Amino acid sequence: MIKVTINGKEIELEQPETILKAARKAGIKIPTLCHHDWLKMYGGCRLCLVEIEKMPRLQPACSFLVSDGMVVTTESEQISAVRRGVLEFILINHPLDCPFCDKAGECELQDAVYIYGPSSGRFKEQKIKHPENNTDPLLARNMERCIACTRCVRMCEDVQGAYAIAMTNRGDRTLMEPFSGNRFDCEYCGNCLTVCPVGSILSRPSKSSYRPWQMDANIATVCSYCGVGCLLNLQVRDESIKKVIPVEDAALRSSFERFGPGVAEKNTEKNLYENSVENRKSLNRGLLCALGRFGHEYVDSRERLTSPMVRKNGKLVETSWDEALDFVALKLNEIKNSSGGSALAGIASPRCTNEDNYIFQKFMRGVLGTNNIDSTARLGFAGAQAYLENLMGQGITANPISDLEDADVIFVVGGDPTIATPVLGLNIRAAAAKGAKIITLGRAAGLGRSKPKEITANLFTENKVLERLLALLFSKKEMTGELPAFEEKLKAAAAAPPAEKTTEVTGVTEAEMAEISEIVASAESFAVVIGSDIVQRAAGHCGLFCLAGISYLASGRIFLLSDRPNEQGLIDMGCLPDRLPGGQSLAIDGFRKKYEEISGLTAPPDKGLTLFPMLKAISEGEIKGLYVMGENPALNLPNWPAGDTRKSKIKSLELLVVQDIFPTETSAMADVVLPALSWAEREGTYTNLEHRIQVLRRAVKNMTYGRDDWRIIAEISSRMGTAMKFSSPADIMAEIVRVSPVHRDLRYPDIEKGTMLCRPYKGQPSKSQAGGVVHGEGFKDLIKTCDRPGGSLDDKKSMHRDFVLLLERSLFYSGVTSRKTPALSRIRPDAAVLRMHPEDAAPGLVEGGRVRVSSPSSEETLELETVFDSSVPRGAVKIPEYLEDLGVGALSLITNLPVDPVTKAPAFEECRVTVEAV
Amino acid sequence: MKKEVMQNDLDNKSLFSPVSLRKRYPTLQATLLPALYEAQKRFEWLSLEALEAVSKELDVPKATVRGVATFYSMYKKHPMGRHLIQLCTNISCMLFGAERLVDIIKKHYGVEAGKTSDDGRFSLVIMECIGACGTAPAMLVNTDFHENLTEENIIKILDEYK
Repeated sequence: MIKVTINGKEIELEQPETILKAARKAGIKIPTLCHHDWLKMYGGCRLCLVEIEKMPRLQPACSFLVSDGMVVTTESEQISAVRRGVLEFILINHPLDCPFCDKAGECELQDAVYIYGPSSGRFKEQKIKHPENNTDPLLARNMERCIACTRCVRMCEDVQGAYAIAMTNRGDRTLMEPFSGNRFDCEYCGNCLTVCPVGSILSRPSKSSYRPWQMDANIATVCSYCGVGCLLNLQVRDESIKKVIPVEDAALRSSFERFGPGVAEKNTEKNLYENSVENRKSLNRGLLCALGRFGHEYVDSRERLTSPMVRKNGKLVETSWDEALDFVALKLNEIKNSSGGSALAGIASPRCTNEDNYIFQKFMRGVLGTNNIDSTARLGFAGAQAYLENLMGQGITANPISDLEDADVIFVVGGDPTIATPVLGLNIRAAAAKGAKIITLGRAAGLGRSKPKEITANLFTENKVLERLLALLFSKKEMTGELPAFEEKLKAAAAAPPAEKTTEVTGVTEAEMAEISEIVASAESFAVVIGSDIVQRAAGHCGLFCLAGISYLASGRIFLLSDRPNEQGLIDMGCLPDRLPGGQSLAIDGFRKKYEEISGLTAPPDKGLTLFPMLKAISEGEIKGLYVMGENPALNLPNWPAGDTRKSKIKSLELLVVQDIFPTETSAMADVVLPALSWAEREGTYTNLEHRIQVLRRAVKNMTYGRDDWRIIAEISSRMGTAMKFSSPADIMAEIVRVSPVHRDLRYPDIEKGTMLCRPYKGQPSKSQAGGVVHGEGFKDLIKTCDRPGGSLDDKKSMHRDFVLLLERSLFYSGVTSRKTPALSRIRPDAAVLRMHPEDAAPGLVEGGRVRVSSPSSEETLELETVFDSSVPRGAVKIPEYLEDLGVGALSLITNLPVDPVTKAPAFEECRVTVEAV
Repeated sequence: MKKEVMQNDLDNKSLFSPVSLRKRYPTLQATLLPALYEAQKRFEWLSLEALEAVSKELDVPKATVRGVATFYSMYKKHPMGRHLIQLCTNISCMLFGAERLVDIIKKHYGVEAGKTSDDGRFSLVIMECIGACGTAPAMLVNTDFHENLTEENIIKILDEYK
């Protein structure tokens, strides 16, 4: 026990801490500039100097550790004089342009000078001039104001791990610059903005548009972009989001009362410590990514749908809500009565809230009488999640993201987590910085600085590698007997592949496999991070099985990546063709009875169609009515049944209803378009990929005639004769809690408090039902399926023309909302390019040459510029998932993908395109 | 001696490749300063391309490489003339008339402090102390050291550099 006296207050500490932290515990604030709680110790600015008894000189509180019996004074005449001196030095070059600096009012330097002075400096020399640099589309750099505290650089290097900026020059000319000296060309996380104590780094989209004290509201909500679910603070003025900051930052700013002589006593112990970062751990811990921080402008977009539209004489025309809703109700009734519920289908949305999705499936099941409910989560997450839970127990993926940082071995498979889920990616980088070994199967460029052990397998042979790794690990690890049924299956799978065969097919040597398996076997805290790429295979579930086995043998945790905010919630809400809310199987009568009893509606007993069979049934005319909520399948999905052209009505559909906030490729084909509310205008809950339920709060008023998704559906329902009496999301949640066993005992106020952790599993899956797992055909011949590499690797002759299409994902793109956000468009690489391995190029094709890309199954073609890139596997070409210039999704070229028999995810190795030089 | 070693290293290589340097330093990061010198030889000056090449070779982030390169005053951060004059104007040299020498160089060769003459012959950089206070004023021309400069002998010295 260490006893310290600070300003006459005695404090007892378990462990030595810095004076700054000890003082904070006693409710004493010491001024700082270069110190930031999230960053490494620096001790550069000397503002936090304090007196320590028996020490001849003042010492920096931010980096000086307390020891037993130490007596510290944080405010005195002498200290004030020294601090005034420090500030006078800083003000030699810092301009006094507070009246037009955005930071004024929340500037740490301004606060310090306000307390300690000096009112004017004694230096007569000219201040150093650096004109504000506005060459970057998002970040303005005003280096006159820079006080060289290096907080931004430490954030960028140590926390974000991007290494995009550095301090350049020296002495009084020191300033922060990105490599180019102009554009940042970085990950645009903007975390440097969060930590800048002065107005040196500013967000251009919000620059000069507000004063901190003019904000009407600060609304804490959940990010609408990926499955991590970062907490954000929306700063709102005049019903428009001006700025997004992390909640911790907002707490830090609002909680501290002013420091200085005489005011220290006013700070209560409570408010200082409770709001300090050690005590407030939201899962993103103050970090955001480009989408979360800059991706909010779409809310104000003028392109938003403002009024319902109904197709009349072949054209969509604006109409009243009543007319549109009556029309939908009438048409749905017609189809239901003439062809039965199975002729109707619905696509739910991983961008809508739990409540929206609950009402959606309730409407589809209870009112329309169909189980044909699925969503774009079928592209990977939904099938993978269900399969893993079947194998290893419900909640197997409910592991806290922040724990990833403490893993000592992390195996990353199926894509770059720093792109799909940027903030989760940071946890992996942080783990690596702490000494964890990172293994990636395939390339994850965003983890490059973490020095991963990279397994480079031939195209589409990952399953084979995983299978071999599983076998090797099986020979090294004992089984625990925890999941006997799963272990039986593991034994069978692990007996399989001979080493030579694997090496021959995958190109990965046995020595490398052995090394990797040794690293995994010796892991103390192992984690598997699974991206969707590994799921999108003809035998995707085989790979998942191997990964589950590897994780099981090494006692690991599984993180299933999701690039949409509510894919997990959508599954929990029962927006699946075979499951009711709470993951209850439709096949079990008891579950269905209970569901019917509580919801008051009957659900059809037969399984519905999953997404891709659904699309097939649409083209074949078996499904006559499709209801799409908050999704743009015409752009996001392969196999979409197009009409004559991409923009015309789908002939085989009698009714296509689209509920969205923007006119999209899908809404252009619709019969009825209903405007909904954007993320910032609605309330509800999202469930993130670790099963944490978080509250979405209304931040701005809706300026269109849009309505909540769930309200629209409830309206249609009552027009069809079934009233749904809900008045708020909390109301709906009350019913969800009764229906779904995983939401049992959940109360809305508890979710709002934000104390929920990976509910209900708390990281402990309820291991149970591995015995009853249904495997597809492929599983029986695990080896056989994996034997067949997807790429046309042997087919040397066709190599110059036929390629496998790989999607290139962007950190700055995530569906229509990111497209309608100018800030993000400005930083997205804009050229429509096709990347290919230089040796794959047809004779005569030069870098920069134009090529025409077509697919045997589609009449559409794309014209793109080629870029040679030796990181692209031979036999494949890479195209951005969305081609901004052309306004086309790369997947829309593909219309005949088969699906994995178990997860029902599309097999992307069958994405074949023909590339010809123009 | 040191200079010779470095010169040999450079002569043996047609392309920029600090591989041999790696052996002499414990970490890649430690190789950064000598690698920058080599890049400067190869690329004439430390352009962004040169810095990127160093960053790639040493696996040090390029922003960090630029930070280091701009910290040290003896790296060429701009295209320079054929000969680089580095003249000290710190206190001892100043007392012995170094500032007058700056004017003379300007008048004679048309090169201002921090700039390059139009014919590309000379670049003039004002140095902080180069440790020759006892024999001030002093300057470096390329890697040659000249001391006890006067208004008369400086032209004679510089005329040797065509």
